[in-house]
Amino acid sequence: MIEARGLTKKYGQKTAVAGIDFTVQPGKVTGFLGPNGAGKSTTMRMIMGLDRPTSGTVTVNGRPYAQLKSPLTEVGALLDAKAVHSGRSATNHLRAVAATHGIGRKRVDEVIEMTGLQAVAGKRVGGFSLGMGQRLGIAAALLGDPRTLILDEPVNGLDPEGVLWVRNLVKHLASEGRTIFLSSHLMSEMALTADHILVIGRGRIIADAPVADIVAGASGTRVRVRSPQAARLAELLQGPDTTVTSVEAGLIEVTGATAEAVGELAARDGVVLHELTPVAASLEAAYMSLTADDVEYHSAPTGAGTTVQPGQAPAIPQEARR
Amino acid sequence: MSATATVPATRAAARPSGAARVTFGRLLRSEWIKLWSLRSTWWVLPITVVAQAGIAWLIAYFGTQEFGEGGIDYTITAADIVGGLQFAQLAICVLAVLAITGEYSTGMIRSTLSTSPTRTPALLAKGLVVVAVAFATGVVATLVSWAVTYPVLGEAHRVDLGLEMNQRILLGAPLYLAAIALLAYAIGALLRHSAGALATVLGLLLVVESVFALIPWTFFEKISPYLPMSAGSQLVFTDNPDAVLGPWEGYGVLVAWGVVLLAAAAVLLRRRDA
Repeated sequence: MIEARGLTKKYGQKTAVAGIDFTVQPGKVTGFLGPNGAGKSTTMRMIMGLDRPTSGTVTVNGRPYAQLKSPLTEVGALLDAKAVHSGRSATNHLRAVAATHGIGRKRVDEVIEMTGLQAVAGKRVGGFSLGMGQRLGIAAALLGDPRTLILDEPVNGLDPEGVLWVRNLVKHLASEGRTIFLSSHLMSEMALTADHILVIGRGRIIADAPVADIVAGASGTRVRVRSPQAARLAELLQGPDTTVTSVEAGLIEVTGATAEAVGELAARDGVVLHELTPVAASLEAAYMSLTADDVEYHSAPTGAGTTVQPGQAPAIPQEARR
Repeated sequence: MSATATVPATRAAARPSGAARVTFGRLLRSEWIKLWSLRSTWWVLPITVVAQAGIAWLIAYFGTQEFGEGGIDYTITAADIVGGLQFAQLAICVLAVLAITGEYSTGMIRSTLSTSPTRTPALLAKGLVVVAVAFATGVVATLVSWAVTYPVLGEAHRVDLGLEMNQRILLGAPLYLAAIALLAYAIGALLRHSAGALATVLGLLLVVESVFALIPWTFFEKISPYLPMSAGSQLVFTDNPDAVLGPWEGYGVLVAWGVVLLAAAAVLLRRRDA
Protein backbone atom coordinates (compact mmCIF):
# COMPACT_ATOMS: atom_id res chain seq x y z
CA MET A 1 0.00 0.00 0.00
CA ILE A 2 1.36 3.38 -1.01
CA GLU A 3 -0.27 6.55 0.32
CA ALA A 4 0.55 10.09 -0.75
CA ARG A 5 -0.90 13.08 1.07
CA GLY A 6 -0.38 16.59 -0.25
CA LEU A 7 2.82 15.40 -1.92
CA THR A 8 4.64 18.35 -3.49
CA LYS A 9 8.00 18.74 -5.19
CA LYS A 10 9.33 22.03 -6.46
CA TYR A 11 12.58 22.55 -8.29
CA GLY A 12 13.22 26.25 -7.82
CA GLN A 13 10.27 28.04 -9.41
CA LYS A 14 9.03 24.98 -11.25
CA THR A 15 6.48 22.74 -9.56
CA ALA A 16 7.00 19.15 -10.65
CA VAL A 17 4.39 17.61 -8.36
CA ALA A 18 1.65 19.85 -7.00
CA GLY A 19 0.18 18.51 -3.77
CA ILE A 20 -1.16 15.19 -4.95
CA ASP A 21 -3.15 12.67 -2.92
CA PHE A 22 -3.51 9.06 -3.91
CA THR A 23 -3.59 5.56 -2.52
CA VAL A 24 -2.21 2.55 -4.33
CA GLN A 25 -4.10 -0.49 -3.06
CA PRO A 26 -2.65 -3.95 -2.58
CA GLY A 27 -3.94 -6.85 -4.62
CA LYS A 28 -4.13 -5.05 -7.91
CA VAL A 29 -2.00 -3.52 -10.59
CA THR A 30 -2.16 0.25 -10.52
CA GLY A 31 -1.01 2.04 -13.62
CA PHE A 32 0.55 5.48 -13.48
CA LEU A 33 -0.01 7.41 -16.68
CA GLY A 34 0.97 10.85 -17.74
CA PRO A 35 2.66 12.78 -20.51
CA ASN A 36 6.39 13.42 -20.45
CA GLY A 37 7.31 15.78 -17.63
CA ALA A 38 4.01 15.24 -15.80
CA GLY A 39 5.74 14.22 -12.58
CA LYS A 40 5.62 10.40 -12.72
CA SER A 41 9.29 9.73 -12.11
CA THR A 42 9.57 12.49 -9.52
CA THR A 43 6.66 10.95 -7.62
CA MET A 44 8.26 7.50 -7.76
CA ARG A 45 11.60 8.86 -6.55
CA MET A 46 9.84 10.54 -3.62
CA ILE A 47 8.13 7.24 -2.74
CA MET A 48 11.58 5.63 -2.67
CA GLY A 49 12.99 8.34 -0.43
CA LEU A 50 15.47 9.42 -3.09
CA ASP A 51 14.01 12.89 -3.56
CA ARG A 52 12.82 14.83 -0.56
CA PRO A 53 9.26 16.20 -0.91
CA THR A 54 9.01 20.00 -0.69
CA SER A 55 5.91 19.35 1.41
CA GLY A 56 3.46 16.55 2.10
CA THR A 57 4.15 12.91 2.84
CA VAL A 58 4.25 9.59 1.13
CA THR A 59 4.30 6.27 2.96
CA VAL A 60 4.84 2.68 1.93
CA ASN A 61 3.06 0.04 4.00
CA GLY A 62 2.27 2.80 6.48
CA ARG A 63 5.77 4.23 6.90
CA PRO A 64 7.99 6.72 5.15
CA TYR A 65 10.53 4.80 3.09
CA ALA A 66 13.45 6.05 5.19
CA GLN A 67 11.96 4.37 8.27
CA LEU A 68 11.73 0.91 6.73
CA LYS A 69 13.98 -1.53 8.56
CA SER A 70 14.11 -3.93 5.66
CA PRO A 71 13.41 -1.85 2.53
CA LEU A 72 14.18 -4.61 0.02
CA THR A 73 11.54 -6.94 1.42
CA GLU A 74 8.99 -4.11 1.69
CA VAL A 75 9.51 -2.39 -1.65
CA GLY A 76 11.23 -3.48 -4.81
CA ALA A 77 11.77 -0.76 -7.36
CA LEU A 78 12.91 -0.38 -10.91
CA LEU A 79 13.34 3.37 -11.15
CA ASP A 80 15.47 3.49 -14.22
CA ALA A 81 17.69 0.94 -15.87
CA LYS A 82 20.78 2.97 -15.05
CA ALA A 83 20.84 2.50 -11.29
CA VAL A 84 23.72 0.07 -11.75
CA HIS A 85 27.49 0.57 -11.93
CA SER A 86 28.39 -0.14 -15.55
CA GLY A 87 31.72 -1.71 -14.59
CA ARG A 88 30.19 -4.49 -12.51
CA SER A 89 28.72 -7.78 -13.71
CA ALA A 90 25.01 -8.41 -13.27
CA THR A 91 25.69 -11.14 -10.71
CA ASN A 92 28.02 -8.96 -8.66
CA HIS A 93 25.56 -6.08 -8.76
CA LEU A 94 22.82 -8.32 -7.41
CA ARG A 95 25.19 -9.86 -4.84
CA ALA A 96 26.11 -6.40 -3.56
CA VAL A 97 22.48 -5.29 -3.32
CA ALA A 98 21.43 -8.58 -1.69
CA ALA A 99 24.27 -8.41 0.82
CA THR A 100 22.82 -5.27 2.42
CA HIS A 101 19.90 -7.38 3.66
CA GLY A 102 21.78 -10.61 4.26
CA ILE A 103 20.07 -12.19 1.27
CA GLY A 104 22.13 -15.12 0.04
CA ARG A 105 23.58 -16.23 -3.25
CA LYS A 106 20.72 -18.71 -3.77
CA ARG A 107 18.15 -15.93 -4.12
CA VAL A 108 20.49 -14.01 -6.44
CA ASP A 109 20.66 -17.02 -8.75
CA GLU A 110 16.89 -17.37 -8.51
CA VAL A 111 16.15 -13.84 -9.70
CA ILE A 112 18.75 -14.18 -12.47
CA GLU A 113 16.91 -17.27 -13.66
CA MET A 114 13.49 -15.64 -13.29
CA THR A 115 14.51 -12.70 -15.44
CA GLY A 116 16.26 -14.84 -18.03
CA LEU A 117 19.68 -13.26 -17.46
CA GLN A 118 21.69 -16.51 -17.04
CA ALA A 119 23.56 -16.07 -20.31
CA VAL A 120 24.81 -12.56 -19.51
CA ALA A 121 25.00 -12.69 -15.70
CA GLY A 122 28.80 -12.71 -15.69
CA LYS A 123 29.15 -9.88 -18.19
CA ARG A 124 29.70 -6.26 -17.30
CA VAL A 125 26.50 -4.23 -17.23
CA GLY A 126 28.02 -1.49 -19.37
CA GLY A 127 27.56 -3.68 -22.44
CA PHE A 128 23.93 -4.50 -21.77
CA SER A 129 21.14 -3.57 -24.16
CA LEU A 130 18.25 -1.50 -22.83
CA GLY A 131 16.14 -4.64 -22.52
CA MET A 132 18.77 -6.56 -20.55
CA GLY A 133 19.23 -3.53 -18.31
CA GLN A 134 15.49 -3.56 -17.64
CA ARG A 135 15.59 -7.26 -16.78
CA LEU A 136 18.46 -6.64 -14.38
CA GLY A 137 16.53 -3.79 -12.78
CA ILE A 138 13.51 -6.05 -12.35
CA ALA A 139 15.75 -8.80 -10.95
CA ALA A 140 17.09 -6.37 -8.34
CA ALA A 141 13.55 -5.26 -7.49
CA LEU A 142 12.51 -8.88 -6.89
CA LEU A 143 15.53 -9.79 -4.70
CA GLY A 144 13.75 -9.23 -1.41
CA ASP A 145 10.47 -10.78 -2.62
CA PRO A 146 8.84 -7.44 -1.73
CA ARG A 147 5.25 -6.74 -0.72
CA THR A 148 5.21 -3.66 -2.93
CA LEU A 149 6.68 -3.35 -6.37
CA ILE A 150 7.32 -0.01 -8.10
CA LEU A 151 8.25 -0.20 -11.75
CA ASP A 152 8.99 2.89 -13.83
CA GLU A 153 8.48 2.06 -17.51
CA PRO A 154 9.30 -1.63 -17.04
CA VAL A 155 8.57 -2.70 -20.60
CA ASN A 156 10.74 0.00 -22.14
CA GLY A 157 13.13 -1.71 -24.52
CA LEU A 158 11.84 -5.22 -23.88
CA ASP A 159 11.12 -7.61 -26.73
CA PRO A 160 7.53 -8.88 -27.12
CA GLU A 161 8.34 -11.98 -25.09
CA GLY A 162 9.72 -9.76 -22.32
CA VAL A 163 6.63 -7.52 -22.42
CA LEU A 164 4.40 -10.56 -22.02
CA TRP A 165 6.59 -11.82 -19.18
CA VAL A 166 6.35 -8.52 -17.29
CA ARG A 167 2.59 -8.43 -17.81
CA ASN A 168 2.12 -11.94 -16.44
CA LEU A 169 4.57 -11.33 -13.62
CA VAL A 170 2.89 -8.21 -12.28
CA LYS A 171 -0.57 -9.74 -12.57
CA HIS A 172 0.60 -12.82 -10.72
CA LEU A 173 2.27 -10.75 -7.99
CA ALA A 174 -0.87 -8.64 -7.60
CA SER A 175 -2.96 -11.80 -7.29
CA GLU A 176 -0.77 -12.77 -4.34
CA GLY A 177 -2.00 -9.63 -2.61
CA ARG A 178 1.01 -7.45 -3.32
CA THR A 179 0.87 -3.80 -4.26
CA ILE A 180 1.97 -3.14 -7.82
CA PHE A 181 2.55 0.39 -9.08
CA LEU A 182 3.81 0.77 -12.59
CA SER A 183 4.17 3.60 -15.00
CA SER A 184 4.09 3.32 -18.73
CA HIS A 185 3.75 5.42 -21.83
CA LEU A 186 2.11 2.54 -23.63
CA MET A 187 -1.60 2.97 -23.16
CA SER A 188 -2.36 -0.30 -24.92
CA GLU A 189 -0.03 -2.11 -22.53
CA MET A 190 -1.67 -0.44 -19.56
CA ALA A 191 -5.13 -1.44 -20.79
CA LEU A 192 -4.00 -5.07 -20.77
CA THR A 193 -2.10 -5.00 -17.50
CA ALA A 194 -3.57 -2.51 -15.07
CA ASP A 195 -6.71 -2.82 -12.95
CA HIS A 196 -6.65 0.75 -11.74
CA ILE A 197 -5.28 3.89 -13.32
CA LEU A 198 -3.84 7.08 -11.92
CA VAL A 199 -3.45 9.79 -14.50
CA ILE A 200 -1.12 12.65 -13.72
CA GLY A 201 -0.79 15.84 -15.74
CA ARG A 202 1.28 18.88 -14.90
CA GLY A 203 1.92 17.55 -11.43
CA ARG A 204 -1.73 16.99 -10.57
CA ILE A 205 -3.80 13.83 -10.40
CA ILE A 206 -6.47 14.20 -13.08
CA ALA A 207 -7.99 10.75 -12.84
CA ASP A 208 -7.95 7.98 -10.25
CA ALA A 209 -10.31 5.16 -11.16
CA PRO A 210 -10.60 1.56 -12.36
CA VAL A 211 -9.62 1.10 -16.01
CA ALA A 212 -13.19 0.28 -17.02
CA ASP A 213 -14.53 3.50 -15.48
CA ILE A 214 -11.93 5.60 -17.22
CA VAL A 215 -12.77 4.06 -20.57
CA ALA A 216 -16.51 4.44 -19.98
CA GLY A 217 -16.12 8.02 -18.83
CA ALA A 218 -14.38 9.00 -22.03
CA SER A 219 -16.43 11.29 -24.27
CA GLY A 220 -19.22 8.73 -24.91
CA THR A 221 -19.39 5.74 -27.19
CA ARG A 222 -19.40 6.14 -30.89
CA VAL A 223 -21.34 4.26 -33.54
CA ARG A 224 -19.84 3.72 -36.94
CA VAL A 225 -22.35 3.60 -39.75
CA ARG A 226 -21.66 2.68 -43.35
CA SER A 227 -24.46 3.44 -45.76
CA PRO A 228 -24.85 4.45 -49.41
CA GLN A 229 -27.30 7.07 -48.08
CA ALA A 230 -25.02 8.34 -45.39
CA ALA A 231 -25.74 12.00 -46.06
CA ARG A 232 -29.47 11.47 -45.66
CA LEU A 233 -28.97 9.47 -42.47
CA ALA A 234 -26.73 12.17 -41.08
CA GLU A 235 -29.51 14.71 -41.57
CA LEU A 236 -32.01 12.43 -39.82
CA LEU A 237 -29.64 11.87 -36.90
CA GLN A 238 -28.92 15.54 -36.28
CA GLY A 239 -30.12 16.54 -32.84
CA PRO A 240 -29.09 18.47 -29.78
CA ASP A 241 -27.40 15.45 -28.14
CA THR A 242 -26.00 13.83 -31.24
CA THR A 243 -22.97 14.70 -33.30
CA VAL A 244 -22.35 13.17 -36.67
CA THR A 245 -18.98 13.29 -38.33
CA SER A 246 -18.34 12.21 -41.86
CA VAL A 247 -15.27 10.00 -42.03
CA GLU A 248 -15.31 9.32 -45.75
CA ALA A 249 -17.93 8.99 -48.48
CA GLY A 250 -20.58 6.59 -47.18
CA LEU A 251 -19.09 6.31 -43.69
CA ILE A 252 -20.16 8.37 -40.70
CA GLU A 253 -19.54 8.25 -36.99
CA VAL A 254 -22.27 9.12 -34.55
CA THR A 255 -21.71 10.22 -31.00
CA GLY A 256 -24.61 10.49 -28.57
CA ALA A 257 -26.86 7.79 -29.97
CA THR A 258 -26.81 4.03 -29.44
CA ALA A 259 -26.44 1.55 -32.26
CA GLU A 260 -30.02 0.44 -31.61
CA ALA A 261 -31.36 3.98 -31.96
CA VAL A 262 -29.46 4.51 -35.20
CA GLY A 263 -30.65 1.17 -36.58
CA GLU A 264 -34.29 1.84 -35.72
CA LEU A 265 -34.15 5.32 -37.23
CA ALA A 266 -32.66 3.92 -40.43
CA ALA A 267 -35.32 1.21 -40.67
CA ARG A 268 -38.14 3.72 -40.14
CA ASP A 269 -36.93 5.86 -43.00
CA GLY A 270 -35.85 3.03 -45.25
CA VAL A 271 -32.16 3.87 -45.23
CA VAL A 272 -29.94 0.99 -46.29
CA LEU A 273 -27.18 0.15 -43.84
CA HIS A 274 -24.02 -1.75 -44.77
CA GLU A 275 -22.43 -1.54 -41.36
CA LEU A 276 -23.54 -0.55 -37.89
CA THR A 277 -20.80 -0.89 -35.29
CA PRO A 278 -20.64 0.45 -31.76
CA VAL A 279 -17.04 1.53 -31.13
CA ALA A 280 -15.93 1.47 -27.52
CA ALA A 281 -13.63 4.29 -26.58
CA SER A 282 -10.12 3.00 -26.07
CA LEU A 283 -8.13 3.73 -22.94
CA GLU A 284 -5.86 5.66 -25.23
CA ALA A 285 -8.69 7.92 -26.38
CA ALA A 286 -9.80 8.36 -22.79
CA TYR A 287 -6.28 9.23 -21.79
CA MET A 288 -5.90 11.68 -24.65
CA SER A 289 -9.07 13.52 -23.75
CA LEU A 290 -8.09 13.60 -20.07
CA THR A 291 -4.65 14.99 -20.65
CA ALA A 292 -5.40 17.20 -23.63
CA ASP A 293 -4.98 20.32 -21.54
CA ASP A 294 -2.14 19.00 -19.46
CA VAL A 295 0.44 18.00 -21.99
CA GLU A 296 3.62 19.91 -21.40
CA TYR A 297 5.12 19.25 -24.79
CA HIS A 298 2.58 19.31 -27.58
CA SER A 299 3.28 17.61 -30.85
CA ALA A 300 2.42 19.27 -34.12
CA PRO A 301 -0.37 17.49 -36.02
CA THR A 302 1.20 15.39 -38.74
CA GLY A 303 -1.83 15.53 -41.04
CA ALA A 304 -5.57 16.15 -41.07
CA GLY A 305 -7.48 13.56 -39.10
CA THR A 306 -4.36 11.96 -37.69
CA THR A 307 -4.41 11.25 -34.01
CA VAL A 308 -1.48 12.86 -32.32
CA GLN A 309 0.13 10.65 -29.75
CA PRO A 310 2.41 12.08 -27.13
CA GLY A 311 5.91 10.80 -27.38
CA GLN A 312 5.52 9.38 -30.87
CA ALA A 313 5.73 12.46 -33.03
CA PRO A 314 8.73 14.72 -32.57
CA ALA A 315 7.97 16.97 -29.63
CA ILE A 316 7.72 20.63 -30.52
CA PRO A 317 7.40 23.16 -27.73
CA GLN A 318 4.11 25.02 -27.66
CA GLU A 319 5.74 28.31 -28.50
CA ALA A 320 7.13 26.94 -31.72
CA ARG A 321 3.68 26.23 -33.04
CA ARG A 322 2.44 29.77 -32.86
CA MET B 1 17.28 -13.03 -24.67
CA SER B 2 15.95 -16.31 -25.91
CA ALA B 3 15.81 -17.72 -22.42
CA THR B 4 12.18 -17.96 -21.53
CA ALA B 5 10.85 -17.23 -18.12
CA THR B 6 7.20 -16.78 -18.86
CA VAL B 7 6.11 -18.44 -15.67
CA PRO B 8 6.35 -15.95 -12.83
CA ALA B 9 8.51 -17.84 -10.42
CA THR B 10 8.24 -15.89 -7.22
CA ARG B 11 7.55 -18.20 -4.39
CA ALA B 12 6.00 -16.74 -1.32
CA ALA B 13 7.35 -19.77 0.53
CA ALA B 14 10.89 -18.86 -0.44
CA ARG B 15 10.55 -15.38 1.00
CA PRO B 16 13.71 -14.56 2.88
CA SER B 17 13.06 -14.85 6.56
CA GLY B 18 12.24 -11.87 8.75
CA ALA B 19 15.96 -11.67 9.45
CA ALA B 20 16.46 -9.90 6.12
CA ARG B 21 17.04 -6.44 7.47
CA VAL B 22 19.74 -3.86 6.97
CA THR B 23 22.56 -3.87 9.48
CA PHE B 24 25.87 -2.01 9.42
CA GLY B 25 27.76 -5.27 9.11
CA ARG B 26 25.77 -6.18 6.04
CA LEU B 27 26.39 -2.77 4.51
CA LEU B 28 30.12 -3.35 5.05
CA ARG B 29 29.81 -6.72 3.31
CA SER B 30 27.98 -5.09 0.40
CA GLU B 31 30.58 -2.35 0.04
CA TRP B 32 33.31 -4.98 0.20
CA ILE B 33 31.70 -6.87 -2.71
CA LYS B 34 31.26 -3.60 -4.61
CA LEU B 35 34.91 -2.62 -4.23
CA TRP B 36 36.36 -5.95 -5.34
CA SER B 37 33.92 -6.44 -8.22
CA LEU B 38 35.33 -3.46 -10.12
CA ARG B 39 38.35 -3.92 -12.34
CA SER B 40 39.82 -0.57 -11.35
CA THR B 41 40.45 -1.86 -7.82
CA TRP B 42 42.50 -4.75 -9.19
CA TRP B 43 44.57 -2.27 -11.15
CA VAL B 44 45.01 0.52 -8.67
CA LEU B 45 46.07 -1.46 -5.63
CA PRO B 46 48.92 -3.42 -7.28
CA ILE B 47 50.06 -0.18 -8.93
CA THR B 48 50.16 1.44 -5.50
CA VAL B 49 52.31 -1.36 -4.08
CA VAL B 50 54.61 -1.59 -7.10
CA ALA B 51 55.08 2.16 -7.28
CA GLN B 52 55.85 2.57 -3.60
CA ALA B 53 58.24 -0.37 -3.51
CA GLY B 54 59.82 0.55 -6.83
CA ILE B 55 60.59 4.07 -5.71
CA ALA B 56 61.97 2.73 -2.42
CA TRP B 57 64.30 0.43 -4.37
CA LEU B 58 65.47 3.30 -6.60
CA ILE B 59 66.18 5.49 -3.58
CA ALA B 60 68.09 2.69 -1.84
CA TYR B 61 70.01 1.54 -4.92
CA PHE B 62 71.20 4.91 -6.13
CA GLY B 63 71.57 6.22 -2.60
CA THR B 64 74.04 3.49 -1.60
CA GLN B 65 76.03 4.00 -4.84
CA GLU B 66 76.38 7.69 -4.12
CA PHE B 67 77.60 6.97 -0.61
CA GLY B 68 80.13 4.50 -1.93
CA GLU B 69 81.66 7.03 -4.31
CA GLY B 70 81.54 10.30 -2.48
CA GLY B 71 81.96 8.98 1.00
CA ILE B 72 79.05 11.19 2.09
CA ASP B 73 78.05 10.74 5.69
CA TYR B 74 74.39 9.74 5.51
CA THR B 75 72.25 7.38 7.48
CA ILE B 76 69.46 5.61 5.63
CA THR B 77 66.20 5.90 7.61
CA ALA B 78 62.76 4.43 7.30
CA ALA B 79 61.72 7.68 5.60
CA ASP B 80 63.77 6.56 2.59
CA ILE B 81 62.10 3.15 2.65
CA VAL B 82 58.65 4.76 2.42
CA GLY B 83 59.74 7.48 -0.01
CA GLY B 84 57.35 5.98 -2.58
CA LEU B 85 54.38 7.18 -0.51
CA GLN B 86 54.37 10.41 -2.52
CA PHE B 87 53.25 8.39 -5.52
CA ALA B 88 51.26 5.70 -3.71
CA GLN B 89 48.99 8.32 -2.15
CA LEU B 90 47.91 9.55 -5.59
CA ALA B 91 46.80 6.06 -6.65
CA ILE B 92 44.96 5.59 -3.36
CA CYS B 93 43.26 8.98 -3.79
CA VAL B 94 41.98 7.96 -7.22
CA LEU B 95 40.58 4.73 -5.79
CA ALA B 96 38.93 6.51 -2.86
CA VAL B 97 37.39 9.27 -4.98
CA LEU B 98 36.07 6.90 -7.64
CA ALA B 99 34.60 4.55 -5.01
CA ILE B 100 31.95 7.18 -4.32
CA THR B 101 31.80 9.37 -7.44
CA GLY B 102 31.54 6.27 -9.64
CA GLU B 103 28.22 5.55 -7.96
CA TYR B 104 26.92 8.99 -8.86
CA SER B 105 28.13 8.93 -12.45
CA THR B 106 26.61 5.51 -13.14
CA GLY B 107 23.38 5.93 -11.15
CA MET B 108 24.37 3.11 -8.76
CA ILE B 109 23.88 5.56 -5.89
CA ARG B 110 20.10 5.20 -6.32
CA SER B 111 20.39 1.45 -5.70
CA THR B 112 22.67 2.08 -2.75
CA LEU B 113 20.38 4.64 -1.12
CA SER B 114 17.29 2.52 -1.80
CA THR B 115 18.83 -0.33 0.17
CA SER B 116 20.05 1.97 2.92
CA PRO B 117 17.47 4.74 3.12
CA THR B 118 18.92 6.40 6.21
CA ARG B 119 21.95 7.10 3.99
CA THR B 120 24.60 7.91 6.60
CA PRO B 121 25.37 4.23 7.38
CA ALA B 122 25.96 3.55 3.68
CA LEU B 123 28.37 6.48 3.47
CA LEU B 124 30.24 5.32 6.57
CA ALA B 125 30.33 1.67 5.49
CA LYS B 126 31.88 2.53 2.16
CA GLY B 127 34.28 4.94 3.82
CA LEU B 128 35.37 2.31 6.32
CA VAL B 129 35.99 -0.25 3.57
CA VAL B 130 38.00 2.28 1.53
CA VAL B 131 40.08 3.35 4.54
CA ALA B 132 40.69 -0.25 5.65
CA VAL B 133 41.77 -1.30 2.15
CA ALA B 134 44.05 1.75 1.90
CA PHE B 135 45.63 0.80 5.24
CA ALA B 136 46.08 -2.83 4.22
CA THR B 137 47.59 -1.75 0.91
CA GLY B 138 49.93 0.53 2.84
CA VAL B 139 51.01 -2.37 5.05
CA VAL B 140 51.73 -4.56 2.03
CA ALA B 141 53.48 -1.73 0.18
CA THR B 142 55.67 -0.95 3.18
CA LEU B 143 56.57 -4.61 3.75
CA VAL B 144 57.43 -5.04 0.06
CA SER B 145 59.44 -1.81 0.15
CA TRP B 146 61.36 -3.15 3.13
CA ALA B 147 61.94 -6.48 1.41
CA VAL B 148 63.22 -5.08 -1.90
CA THR B 149 65.55 -2.57 -0.24
CA TYR B 150 66.94 -5.03 2.31
CA PRO B 151 69.49 -6.73 -0.01
CA VAL B 152 70.39 -3.41 -1.67
CA LEU B 153 71.20 -1.66 1.58
CA GLY B 154 73.31 -4.46 2.95
CA GLU B 155 74.93 -4.43 6.37
CA ALA B 156 76.47 -1.02 5.90
CA HIS B 157 73.25 0.96 5.52
CA ARG B 158 70.84 -1.19 7.47
CA VAL B 159 67.88 0.79 8.82
CA ASP B 160 67.95 0.69 12.60
CA LEU B 161 64.61 -0.76 13.64
CA GLY B 162 65.46 -0.15 17.25
CA LEU B 163 65.07 3.58 16.71
CA GLU B 164 61.70 4.88 17.76
CA MET B 165 61.69 7.24 14.77
CA ASN B 166 62.05 4.39 12.27
CA GLN B 167 59.31 2.39 13.96
CA ARG B 168 57.03 5.44 13.85
CA ILE B 169 57.67 5.99 10.14
CA LEU B 170 57.11 2.36 9.12
CA LEU B 171 53.86 2.18 11.07
CA GLY B 172 53.00 5.68 9.92
CA ALA B 173 53.14 4.90 6.19
CA PRO B 174 49.97 2.73 6.13
CA LEU B 175 48.29 5.08 8.59
CA TYR B 176 49.09 8.02 6.33
CA LEU B 177 47.61 6.24 3.29
CA ALA B 178 44.48 5.41 5.28
CA ALA B 179 44.01 9.03 6.35
CA ILE B 180 44.67 10.44 2.90
CA ALA B 181 42.11 7.93 1.53
CA LEU B 182 39.58 9.23 4.05
CA LEU B 183 40.22 12.80 2.89
CA ALA B 184 39.88 11.88 -0.79
CA TYR B 185 36.74 9.84 -0.13
CA ALA B 186 35.15 12.71 1.79
CA ILE B 187 35.90 15.17 -1.01
CA GLY B 188 34.44 12.69 -3.52
CA ALA B 189 31.28 12.37 -1.41
CA LEU B 190 30.97 16.16 -1.17
CA LEU B 191 31.49 16.94 -4.85
CA ARG B 192 29.89 13.80 -6.37
CA HIS B 193 31.56 14.31 -9.76
CA SER B 194 34.59 12.20 -10.65
CA ALA B 195 36.49 14.81 -12.61
CA GLY B 196 35.76 17.64 -10.20
CA ALA B 197 36.65 15.62 -7.12
CA LEU B 198 39.84 14.18 -8.62
CA ALA B 199 40.96 17.62 -9.74
CA THR B 200 40.24 19.00 -6.29
CA VAL B 201 42.08 16.27 -4.39
CA LEU B 202 45.11 16.13 -6.66
CA GLY B 203 45.16 19.90 -7.01
CA LEU B 204 45.08 20.29 -3.25
CA LEU B 205 47.87 17.77 -2.63
CA LEU B 206 50.11 18.57 -5.58
CA VAL B 207 49.56 22.24 -6.29
CA VAL B 208 47.89 24.18 -3.50
CA GLU B 209 50.08 22.88 -0.70
CA SER B 210 53.35 23.57 -2.50
CA VAL B 211 52.18 27.01 -3.65
CA PHE B 212 51.14 27.92 -0.12
CA ALA B 213 54.49 26.79 1.18
CA LEU B 214 56.30 28.89 -1.44
CA ILE B 215 54.55 32.21 -0.99
CA PRO B 216 56.55 34.20 1.57
CA TRP B 217 53.57 35.91 3.13
CA THR B 218 53.00 35.38 6.83
CA PHE B 219 49.40 34.33 6.32
CA PHE B 220 50.38 31.48 4.00
CA GLU B 221 53.34 30.55 6.15
CA LYS B 222 51.08 30.23 9.18
CA ILE B 223 48.43 28.20 7.30
CA SER B 224 50.75 25.99 5.30
CA PRO B 225 51.75 23.47 8.00
CA TYR B 226 48.08 22.78 8.73
CA LEU B 227 47.16 21.77 5.19
CA PRO B 228 46.34 18.04 4.96
CA MET B 229 49.41 16.61 3.27
CA SER B 230 51.91 18.97 4.89
CA ALA B 231 50.50 18.12 8.31
CA GLY B 232 49.98 14.39 7.83
CA SER B 233 53.30 13.68 6.17
CA GLN B 234 55.12 14.74 9.35
CA LEU B 235 54.31 11.20 10.48
CA VAL B 236 56.56 9.69 7.81
CA PHE B 237 59.33 12.30 7.96
CA THR B 238 62.48 12.07 10.05
CA ASP B 239 62.53 13.93 13.34
CA ASN B 240 62.51 17.67 12.77
CA PRO B 241 62.67 19.90 15.86
CA ASP B 242 61.83 22.97 13.73
CA ALA B 243 58.52 21.60 12.44
CA VAL B 244 55.42 23.49 13.56
CA LEU B 245 53.59 20.22 14.17
CA GLY B 246 55.02 17.05 15.63
CA PRO B 247 54.51 13.72 13.80
CA TRP B 248 51.38 12.66 15.64
CA GLU B 249 50.02 16.22 15.92
CA GLY B 250 50.37 16.57 12.17
CA TYR B 251 48.71 13.23 11.60
CA GLY B 252 45.88 14.29 13.89
CA VAL B 253 45.38 17.40 11.75
CA LEU B 254 45.16 15.28 8.58
CA VAL B 255 42.62 12.93 10.19
CA ALA B 256 40.64 15.94 11.39
CA TRP B 257 40.47 17.27 7.83
CA GLY B 258 39.03 13.93 6.68
CA VAL B 259 36.56 13.62 9.55
CA VAL B 260 35.24 17.18 9.21
CA LEU B 261 34.82 16.89 5.45
CA LEU B 262 33.12 13.49 5.79
CA ALA B 263 30.75 14.92 8.40
CA ALA B 264 29.89 17.72 5.96
CA ALA B 265 29.35 15.11 3.24
CA ALA B 266 27.04 13.14 5.56
CA VAL B 267 24.93 16.23 6.30
CA LEU B 268 24.65 17.06 2.60
CA LEU B 269 23.90 13.44 1.69
CA ARG B 270 20.86 13.47 3.93
CA ARG B 271 19.65 16.76 2.49
CA ARG B 272 20.29 16.42 -1.20
CA ASP B 273 18.12 14.59 -3.70
CA ALA B 274 19.85 11.54 -5.10
